[in-house]
Amino acid sequence: MTVSVRECGAARVVDLEGEVDLGTSPKLRRTLFDLLGKTSRLALNLRALRYIDSSGIATLIEVLHDAQRLGKEFVLFGLSPAVHDAFRLTHVNRVFRIFDTEEQAVTSA
Amino acid sequence: MSRHEAASAGLPMHVMFDMCSQARCLPIVRAAVNQLAAMVGWDEADSRAITMAVDEALANVIRHAYHGSGDRRIELHCCAGEGELEFRIRDTGDPPDRSLICAREVGCDKIGGLGTHIIRDVMDSVSYEARQEGNWFVAVKRLQRKT
Repeated sequence: MTVSVRECGAARVVDLEGEVDLGTSPKLRRTLFDLLGKTSRLALNLRALRYIDSSGIATLIEVLHDAQRLGKEFVLFGLSPAVHDAFRLTHVNRVFRIFDTEEQAVTSA
Repeated sequence: MSRHEAASAGLPMHVMFDMCSQARCLPIVRAAVNQLAAMVGWDEADSRAITMAVDEALANVIRHAYHGSGDRRIELHCCAGEGELEFRIRDTGDPPDRSLICAREVGCDKIGGLGTHIIRDVMDSVSYEARQEGNWFVAVKRLQRKT
């Protein structure tokens, strides 16, 4: 799993690539929690993610909870087919704010 | 020869993994299971779902049966037959707590507990059994042929 971070206006955009599973989700968790302390909006690009398991999805829910607690935005965009299938299987589509494009993810109210 | 007949040429096949209880083994298993599912005849999305279910079962063994200890053994048997895949996983850790299987409400934002729901949703049959030689997880997925 590769994690890259960009600044996009007031938001931080995280580009995820590869696979998130039991072995890699702790790194993702650390990275997202660290970034959440540095921005008011965190946008996660899932376009290049080939796999995400339940531990990865649990990590995203944890970060969402923390963002809500802190009054910050945590949004997702560009779901790859693999991520889309994983979200459908776990019924978490309605848990997150999900956008098609990066522009929508970083500018939506 | 139909697409299914072409895909399933060479079956039955039995693939066995004797692996350590470490998460770094999971990508290797996922790649093989995905290929096996495609060989039996599932499309890309279904093969992904089957792969995820097996991955979740193995992750549960690492996390719950072995509590993250990386020096234990896990056996995974994948039996690919005509229109069917059977997975058998054996571990020698703590037996599964049946009260936690699919205990989580779906569609909510609760953290954790999603793995067993994925397995139940994807597979046609799932069983957990504690025997003298260890814990056995058995799951079967059948190909639903269009007529």
